[in-house]
Amino acid sequence: MKFDLTLGLVDRPGQLLKALEPIAKNGGNLIYILHEREKITGGFIPVSLVVDFPTVESFDRTKRELEKRGVSIIKSEEIIEKSLITCILVGRIDMEKLTESDIEGMKIINFEASAPTSKEACIRLNIEAPVKAVGKIMSRLKEMAKKEDAILISSV
Amino acid sequence: MIGFGFIGRHLAQALYVKRDVLKKVDKGFKLVGVGEIDGCAYNEKGLNLEELASIKKLSGCKDFSKGKTSVELIEDSGADIMIETTPTNIKDGQPGLTHIEKALEEGMHVVTSNKGPMVVAFKKLTDLAKKKACELRYEATVAGALPVFSLVRDCLRGDKILKISGILNGTSNYILSRMYFEGMSFELALREAQERGFTEADPSYDIEGIDPACKVVILANALMDRNVKFEDVERIGIRRVTPEAVNLAKRAGYAIKLIGTVDETLEVAPKLILENHPLCVHGTLNALHLEADLAGEITVIGYGAGKETVSAIMNDIISIVKTSA
Repeated sequence: MKFDLTLGLVDRPGQLLKALEPIAKNGGNLIYILHEREKITGGFIPVSLVVDFPTVESFDRTKRELEKRGVSIIKSEEIIEKSLITCILVGRIDMEKLTESDIEGMKIINFEASAPTSKEACIRLNIEAPVKAVGKIMSRLKEMAKKEDAILISSV
Repeated sequence: MIGFGFIGRHLAQALYVKRDVLKKVDKGFKLVGVGEIDGCAYNEKGLNLEELASIKKLSGCKDFSKGKTSVELIEDSGADIMIETTPTNIKDGQPGLTHIEKALEEGMHVVTSNKGPMVVAFKKLTDLAKKKACELRYEATVAGALPVFSLVRDCLRGDKILKISGILNGTSNYILSRMYFEGMSFELALREAQERGFTEADPSYDIEGIDPACKVVILANALMDRNVKFEDVERIGIRRVTPEAVNLAKRAGYAIKLIGTVDETLEVAPKLILENHPLCVHGTLNALHLEADLAGEITVIGYGAGKETVSAIMNDIISIVKTSA
């Protein structure tokens, strides 16, 4: 899992190494680093990092160790990779129910509905969802469609 | 050969046209018997292939005996290979199941284009073939002329198949293609498919996803070492796909196709396929997309039904003749 970190390092030799040691020790794989000397504020140089940690625990351990070493953590958050999914629902669709559904992580970006010439209504949804939750979200949508006697046409 | 319907007759024609190819593989290659519901044709010196290739009913063959059953033919023929081409019955696999069991019990290799027995008794039949040290080949049961089982068995020996997805029914693909290109309603496209002879008398087999679900079962059992049944496949047909749905898909760069999927799930359902995806083929074409651990992604495209199916049967026959020679 990837984390976005911004550290504030004192402008003294050896501070970057001091910050990177706990990351390496806890299995963090450095994907990106930016040392912004020109943005020095209050004696601290901001260093932005993207690090891939094996577990949340290893990330938390790293943070504790950085704090112990006196490295200030300006920002730390998990990077959630998102997927864009297109799907179509055919049948009786209650849009209100759909938008108010409590499907965790699902965000409807936009939709296009078609005026039905038959009794079946039809709507195309563009959904944003965390990559890891896509399977779960599609299963929930499928269940919901089944309950409403609609069909879900998901993308391959 | 048991069954002298559409596939059986076209196979007889192919055996006649390709007789020199077959003789090259085995000088003594001959078709000694053909079984049908009303009787059998048998000649231990080999039936006249030219005659068989030209007749529509088996009773027109000079070696035909009315009343002799196919099981009796299997028992008496002394053949090395039994080819099963009777119609598919997915309820109990009969009569094909009995024919295949009988042939394997008699120590014959088996080639089948009949899905029924492979859907209802895959493990039982493959175990029996193993026990009798016989080959059981069924390339024609899934996606007609497309090499699927041979491809994996012969060319992907070191691979593990992770996922299979595909268009496994030409009739439903024809209907969805007409809806996609011409904006037709489902009912009109179905009527057109019926008029062109692409559907069964009862089209539900194609449009309710029953036929592709059978193929999903065979693919899962044969290529992913599963032990699943027809009832395990989650199935939605194409009857409820409306022209509006097809149009909404098209406006976003997708086509709607009836896709069979084998991974942790077993499913047949209409799906959105990007227009530039290799599975997005139209008309009566079939396409099969494999994901393997070493090879990555492989797609095969071709005709999944009709007379092209005899290509798969011929390849199975020649493979057996070559390995047992």
